[in-house]
Amino acid sequence: MEISDGSILLLTLRVAAVSTLLILPVAVGVAWFLARRAGPGRTLAETILSLPLVLPPTAVGLLLLEALRRSGPLGRLLDRAGIEIVFTWKAVVLATAVMSFPLLVRPVRAAFEEVDPRLLAMARSLGHTPLQAFRRVALPLSWRGILAGTLLAFSRALGEFGATILIAGNIPGRTQTLALAIFQRTQIGADGAALRLVAVTVVLAFVTVWTTEIITRHKARTRAGERPA
Amino acid sequence: MIDLDLTLPLARFTLRVARRLSGRAVAILGASGSGKTSLLESIAGLRAGASGRIVIDGETLLDTRALRSLPPERRRIGYVPQDALLFPHLNVERNVRFGSDKSSGEGAESAERLFREAVSILEIDRLLARFPATLSGGERQRVALARAIAARPRLLLLDEPLAAVDVALKGRILPYLLRVRDELHVPFLYVTHNAGEARAVAEEAVVLREGTVVFAGAPEQALAWVSQGDPEARFDNILAGRLEAPPDAGSKDASRGTGVLRVGEARLVVPAEDADPSSSLAVFAVSPEDVLVSSRPLEGISARNVLPGAVVALEIGETSGWARIRAQGIEWNALVTKEAVRELELAPGRPAWIAVKTHVFRRLR
Repeated sequence: MEISDGSILLLTLRVAAVSTLLILPVAVGVAWFLARRAGPGRTLAETILSLPLVLPPTAVGLLLLEALRRSGPLGRLLDRAGIEIVFTWKAVVLATAVMSFPLLVRPVRAAFEEVDPRLLAMARSLGHTPLQAFRRVALPLSWRGILAGTLLAFSRALGEFGATILIAGNIPGRTQTLALAIFQRTQIGADGAALRLVAVTVVLAFVTVWTTEIITRHKARTRAGERPA
Repeated sequence: MIDLDLTLPLARFTLRVARRLSGRAVAILGASGSGKTSLLESIAGLRAGASGRIVIDGETLLDTRALRSLPPERRRIGYVPQDALLFPHLNVERNVRFGSDKSSGEGAESAERLFREAVSILEIDRLLARFPATLSGGERQRVALARAIAARPRLLLLDEPLAAVDVALKGRILPYLLRVRDELHVPFLYVTHNAGEARAVAEEAVVLREGTVVFAGAPEQALAWVSQGDPEARFDNILAGRLEAPPDAGSKDASRGTGVLRVGEARLVVPAEDADPSSSLAVFAVSPEDVLVSSRPLEGISARNVLPGAVVALEIGETSGWARIRAQGIEWNALVTKEAVRELELAPGRPAWIAVKTHVFRRLR
């Protein structure tokens, strides 16, 4: 069965977008926690969160597969609820979400760390609860970092391969993203078709990374400009 | 009425303040690191670790024995730090409205009224659309003050609001503080190194040293306590009174550019614009360096203000210090050298004359 390049691209974009949107609120919360807390708990949390960055993606994929195994506690729970994940597009979302999570947390945390805690204290003395102070001061002051992290996580999600192939397989039309399709096409010797997809990924990656660069550059410039003389 | 009974362990000492402050405007004086800012932050609820009681106008903000501690957002205490701390992502208008934009219905109406009032008293109407990064130091302080006032605080905490601005700006902001005190009737605690400022804005003064209150009482009497151990202490002479045209206004040249400031029984010749309306309220400052002291009557001297008086107190350090001289109902602070004190034989109770040139009076309002 031949699946068109367009539908592969569409599936890839959809999966990357869903995964990024899913992890965004969680990552913002975790980044806020990491930026504001000190102590041994923070170091431990940071180390665990960074693991997907350094572990082989296939290792992460296998761990996820083990966790979702039908006989495991989590798998049984999902099975009872009638939710099937392994070898579906949801598995692709899960794999890309786990793999890109640390890439989203890092820039957001860095942005939060630059927010002067005294500004938050000022917001509170002006009648705002900690949550309101976060929403009205910390979030708007960090939006560039959040956007940059989102784009970075999104581009990582576009190219995820190792973890995905283990828990989602490489099923054309169902779980086959651009990265998986390129692999499959080279396997069957369809190098021309594979290269076509490579061109698509290059354009996609270029646009997202370029946008991220512009945002972070702009950030550096406005920050320098904002500094009072 | 502010009832304080606070204990806060700090790095070098423990801050202990047990005091009932009744003044509408209380100055807190003391050297850097004496616990002034920590005291303000504890009252505002921005610093953890304070124990004891804080009661303002009958409402308990903190009572650690009763396990009660209102979070900062429910204390209604306005805080104006030295560096203004404006929200950089909001323009001036949204900064000023930050503390009141959650009100609705009747609350919103009175919040709007208070916003207008704060904007007009601090004269920031023309700054509303600008962002903090584009404001000057004095403008920032005025916006920070307006933001604190617009949130309808029951108490304002001003942490050296004028320390970061130069003399000219200070002169322009001080009058706004007086208007906040007199027209909006918001009581405040005012942290400063400048005893002159304290005397100008406060009715009551507290001097802190190493976390302990070493003096509480009239601002005039705080002076002696302040200079001990505070190298940054300043004693500007601040004079408020009615500005009138000089009596010989008819004979032009001699009086051009000057006016007469009536402070109690004193008549001081001060600089004035010809266009000044007569009998307006004016505030002037004179640096203690600019007050000359003599132990003999002064004659044939160019200074327009020569006043007879008597030495009230002297406080002389290694090489120089302060002489307080009461002349025509005003207590003047003069900077004098140790040598001058000896040569002039200045001592409390002895007669002294002071001379102040017209042009050293800086107009504050």
